[in-house]
Amino acid sequence: MEQLSLQGLILELSRFWADQGCVIQQPYDLEVGAGTMHPDTFLRVLGPEPWRVGYVQPSRRPADARYGENPFRLGKHYQFQVVLMPSPADVQPLYVRSLEAMGINLAEHDLRFEEDNWEAPTLGAWGLGWQVMLDGMEITQFTYFQQAGGLDLAPISAEITYGLERLAMFLGRSQSVYDVEWVAGGPSYGAVRHQDEVEFSKYYFETANVDFLRSQFDGCEAESQASLEAGLVLPAYEYALRCSQLFNVLDARGAVSVTDRVAVIKRIRNLAVACAAEYVASRERLGYPLLGAWQEGTDG
Amino acid sequence: MAELFLEVRCEEIPAGMLQAGTRELATRLFEELMSRQLPARTVETAFTPRRLIVTLDGLADQEPDREEEVVGPPVSAAFDDQGEPTRAATGFARRCGVEVEELTRVQTEKGEYLSAVQRTEGRPTIELLAELVPQILASLSWPKVMRWGAGEGPWVRPVHGIVALFGGQVIDFELFGVTAGNETSAHPWLSDGTFAVESAADHGRKLARRRIVVKVENRRKKIQDEMARLAAAVGGRPVEDEALLEKLACICEVPGVVEGSFDPAFLELPREVLVTSLRDHQSAFGVESDAGLLPRFLTVMDRADDPAGRIQAGNEWVVAARLEDARFFYQEDRKKPLSERSAELEHLSFHARLGSYADKTERLVQLGEVICESLGRADLADEVKSAARLLKIDLVTEMVKEFTSLQGVMGGVYAREDGASDEVWQAIYDQYLPASTGDAIPSGPVGQIVGLADRIDTLVGIFGIGLKPTSSKDPFGLRRAAQGVVRIALEGDLAMDLDLIAAKAFQLYGDRVTVRGKEILEAWRPFLFDRVRYLLGLEGYAYDEIEAALAVGGTNLPDVKARVDAIHTVRDAPGFLPVVLAAKRISNIVKDAAEQSFREDLLVESAERDLYAAFRSLREETEAAEAQGDFVSCLRQIAGFADGLDRFFVEVLVMDENVELRNNRLALLQSIQRVLSRTAELTRIVVDRSEHRDD
Repeated sequence: MEQLSLQGLILELSRFWADQGCVIQQPYDLEVGAGTMHPDTFLRVLGPEPWRVGYVQPSRRPADARYGENPFRLGKHYQFQVVLMPSPADVQPLYVRSLEAMGINLAEHDLRFEEDNWEAPTLGAWGLGWQVMLDGMEITQFTYFQQAGGLDLAPISAEITYGLERLAMFLGRSQSVYDVEWVAGGPSYGAVRHQDEVEFSKYYFETANVDFLRSQFDGCEAESQASLEAGLVLPAYEYALRCSQLFNVLDARGAVSVTDRVAVIKRIRNLAVACAAEYVASRERLGYPLLGAWQEGTDG
Repeated sequence: MAELFLEVRCEEIPAGMLQAGTRELATRLFEELMSRQLPARTVETAFTPRRLIVTLDGLADQEPDREEEVVGPPVSAAFDDQGEPTRAATGFARRCGVEVEELTRVQTEKGEYLSAVQRTEGRPTIELLAELVPQILASLSWPKVMRWGAGEGPWVRPVHGIVALFGGQVIDFELFGVTAGNETSAHPWLSDGTFAVESAADHGRKLARRRIVVKVENRRKKIQDEMARLAAAVGGRPVEDEALLEKLACICEVPGVVEGSFDPAFLELPREVLVTSLRDHQSAFGVESDAGLLPRFLTVMDRADDPAGRIQAGNEWVVAARLEDARFFYQEDRKKPLSERSAELEHLSFHARLGSYADKTERLVQLGEVICESLGRADLADEVKSAARLLKIDLVTEMVKEFTSLQGVMGGVYAREDGASDEVWQAIYDQYLPASTGDAIPSGPVGQIVGLADRIDTLVGIFGIGLKPTSSKDPFGLRRAAQGVVRIALEGDLAMDLDLIAAKAFQLYGDRVTVRGKEILEAWRPFLFDRVRYLLGLEGYAYDEIEAALAVGGTNLPDVKARVDAIHTVRDAPGFLPVVLAAKRISNIVKDAAEQSFREDLLVESAERDLYAAFRSLREETEAAEAQGDFVSCLRQIAGFADGLDRFFVEVLVMDENVELRNNRLALLQSIQRVLSRTAELTRIVVDRSEHRDD
């Protein structure tokens, strides 16, 4: 098969997971650190309702920004996130077929699942699983969620997170992420995104207004709490996500001391935990609308 | 006789848990069957990341029948006035499945009771296994477990298939929604579907045909041989790394080797960086010849071949990217020599209450000098201080932030590049040695001294803010630090009083520490001594020998060890055990007595006069030998004192009616006691070897 461009990968993955009955969702319209934080993962994995979703999530990691100079590290990268709940018994073979859908012929490659557990202290969440290694390259994070928002999960969700840039670089043997073709025969990743990396690096490390960000943090925290008190869990969660991202920027800016760090993480976790509990209660009040939404045969 | 064959197929189990999990499964099966009188003749285990395999051969088809005496109600309650059985008796008989007439009587402490012999017919083994196997499988003690699907589990990873055969018959059970059967498969997505197996041998043959090697030692051997062959073909050998080889053997079931090369320009990086990057990021071995590293690496794939060369090309691409990263870190780090970066340590916290690494560095420079003085090695002070100043700077380098396992090593490499003397860079390089039991201590005295200073500073500081480790929690690694102190002092033969060094460390902390110095020393001594006991015990010394020496030797550990060794040497000499007994007797006699004064003219019996004369020469000779550190000679002399003591106790009554004589004899015994317990606390020696603990 011909080498896929970045958007070729996105299109094939979307098609593949759509065929598995997934809701093809869009990125969350807020800045987040990972696809896991999208409410369609973090909140949907709670409670008894089945859920199958796939989406691209631009994921911002201010501390990893490198002014567009490092060929591998980015302040923002793209994840393709899949959640299957409950995790089907054949989730591994299913994942393998998704690789084949991207043109990876496994008869010619080495695929291994190496232990790599996942934990997000700011979300009160953890899971067990692997990093998936293709010919020695980590291409996917594969996790069975065990807890989110401090709550034990049942049923259990499988989360599959593809690192799109890595996959594209690896399959194209690119020396730099900026050389990756975004469109086959068209503009490169660098042409589309380089300015973004340069400017945000400068912003995160040099110009971000610490006092402003801190007051934003306090404001978002209060707004999240107020929304919870009003019984509005989705707005409350959105403000919790804003807190999380403000923390990441402050951290990259070097404005979080070692002692503050623990306290700030705890403030965010408290919001996430409260949102998780309230979300479960809200779904119960609604009578779990998604129960039975997938026909037998598509959800297992 | 029949064979139990068990295979559990699941998603990839973490490499470090496989061995213990399989072993536990086999052991518990064996023991549970044994406790039901079903001994197995052989037990075989194997595992791959995706399967646990256990075979127990030579099991009987049937549990033996059992007879058991059951005690029922007291006879007094079992029969009424007419001698007819009561409901207590008939109920008991019914429960035991016998007639009332068949009941017998037993005499117990509480009186006469009814009893019955209950016979249990042994069940077919296969039925028993249908209960036992799932029970044991479900309750294996994995370090971390998970759930999956609708909430199945908990187990280490999701289970997909179970083969459970007894004598070729399927054992009927279900676990986590999986029904045991006789079907297995080779590879979850590359294989030719499922196939039936009849026995362990059949299973082994059918998997081998599909190139799966189920025994970890065989995979290991295959990987090792293949790597050696490929390395030899380019004039080299794999860089030795047992732990990596073990890991590689645990992450594949078809042990294939991938070789690859990288741009020779990367060889300008320090060897340690290349080897660590290959190992930590890529689970790959470097390849070396006598002339140094070659631009090549070796790792495994979970398949036999690389038909299109894509696997090698992929690994090479990743290795190049990783080495590119490492080169970037190296170049960043080398913009300035280490010595110009010491100010950065001010921003690196050692502990919130104990200050920064810059503060620690200041303390280490001074403590290092004190240790040199204590050892009478002022000649080393300059090098110790230089090493101490540079010791922790590598913690702020990019390389150590990326590869924490290179801490110390990287500082050593950079110091060497900066032109430090061999003693100094080696001391920095070795500072974390010994990190584990198998490690040597730092090779030179400078490294040993800074290693001691660093650990004592940490121990005293953490104890000093009241954070002693508990039995389950030791977040600062203080046990390992103490073990390091003890090993360096003993193996480096560093004869000095560690208490004095700790006291100095305490003083250097000033008012940062909140616990009083005396309390810190009281806490750190037993902590240290626990490690001494453990390490000397490993060397084969008996625990009482160690206790006897510790009671007098203090914290000068080479001195303690010389005493332990002397006791060990002399313990079987004639007179030694009698003198120990005498020492215990003396200790009993004088333990409640006040300190008495002694007058030679009050010695009236010949046995006590002779004893006193012998004692005077003993005191002189042992003092001289003690001063020379000749503890064996001391103890031999003391052993020679046994006869005189024995005669004294036979012929002389210490507790004489005459108070003056009595007190004088007590005074003599008090003096003798001081001499007897100077080389070793003899009363700690266990005389009756049957009281001896196994150690």
